[in-house]
Amino acid sequence: MNSHDVTVLGYLVILAAGIVLQLLATRTRAPIPSLGKVFSWAMGTRARRIGVLVAWAWVGLHFFAR
Amino acid sequence: MTGKAGSGGPCPPPSQDQSATKQPPAGGAAPAIGEPPAGGSPGSGDADIGDGAATVTAVRAGSGHVVTALAGLREPIVLILLLIAFFTWISGKPLDGLLMLVVGMSLAWDTGRRRRQGGAPEGRLAGDSASGFGAANQDEARGVGQATRLDAPEAAARWRRRLVVLAWLAGGALYAALVGSFSRYSWPATVPVAVLGAAVVVAGWRGPRHSRPAPAKLPATGLALWGVVLVAGCLWELSSLFQQPTMTTDSYAHPTISTLTDPVLGTWAGRSIFLAAWLGLGWFLVDR
Repeated sequence: MNSHDVTVLGYLVILAAGIVLQLLATRTRAPIPSLGKVFSWAMGTRARRIGVLVAWAWVGLHFFAR
Repeated sequence: MTGKAGSGGPCPPPSQDQSATKQPPAGGAAPAIGEPPAGGSPGSGDADIGDGAATVTAVRAGSGHVVTALAGLREPIVLILLLIAFFTWISGKPLDGLLMLVVGMSLAWDTGRRRRQGGAPEGRLAGDSASGFGAANQDEARGVGQATRLDAPEAAARWRRRLVVLAWLAGGALYAALVGSFSRYSWPATVPVAVLGAAVVVAGWRGPRHSRPAPAKLPATGLALWGVVLVAGCLWELSSLFQQPTMTTDSYAHPTISTLTDPVLGTWAGRSIFLAAWLGLGWFLVDR
């Protein structure tokens, strides 16, 4: 396994961790909020709301803009 | 930015600053009369006093704005935005960095202003829903109210809602197909993405789209777990970025997410699907 594979594996592990958390939140009674609830909470104040929205805008700019 | 605000920019100065700027003529200018102007001629005394008062006022207003912005730096989101702006800038994406810098500094100033005004809550304020996303909510509420008064059948309202959703979906699909047809990093791709991103951020600044009751307090442990996943993702991406030969040269051994998605985003279909997903995520966020 070379460093490219390790790097990709790292991304996949993090993605899998997110999926596991979402499943635990929606399928069990574990005290874990779903991603939707986390975003609802995050949009509750101006600072957090702007942070989330600008992160979304940044993704679009990062992949498409000059 | 603070300089612009201090020189009569679009942002109104906070009330504390206004009181500070009004002080010099009453109290601040008085000592200046007693002190002879250095090198000033006796005949030009009034003009010098006026200039001095104006300078003192400008300096106080300017320092007030700086203090306001610095107070806003205590907001963690502001620091995160400024850090992202820095790393984006050095990785060769000045437009992204500029957006983050402008938003970060604006948020710092806004947060500092609110704190200096007595810690006004910045959450789902009544005033927040008077415009921005809230305007749509008010229209919705007005529409619902009228429907109730007119006793219109609920099915008609549901149909209208479906038509609106369909129109949004069609518009989104057209946007994704059209913008996806342009090559990445070209101006035709840059402008629509930048305009939409900026419009959503500006609308979000004014308030949430729905004035829902404040969500129940989330379990701290669960919230922390999501935070760990998010931070781990950011750090992993950052470590790949730092292990590239240079900030602007991709590395096969340590690919960033951008590098990994390059083959997909090299095609029209890939770009359009990615843009559609981006729009969907944006709608999901705006609808929170």
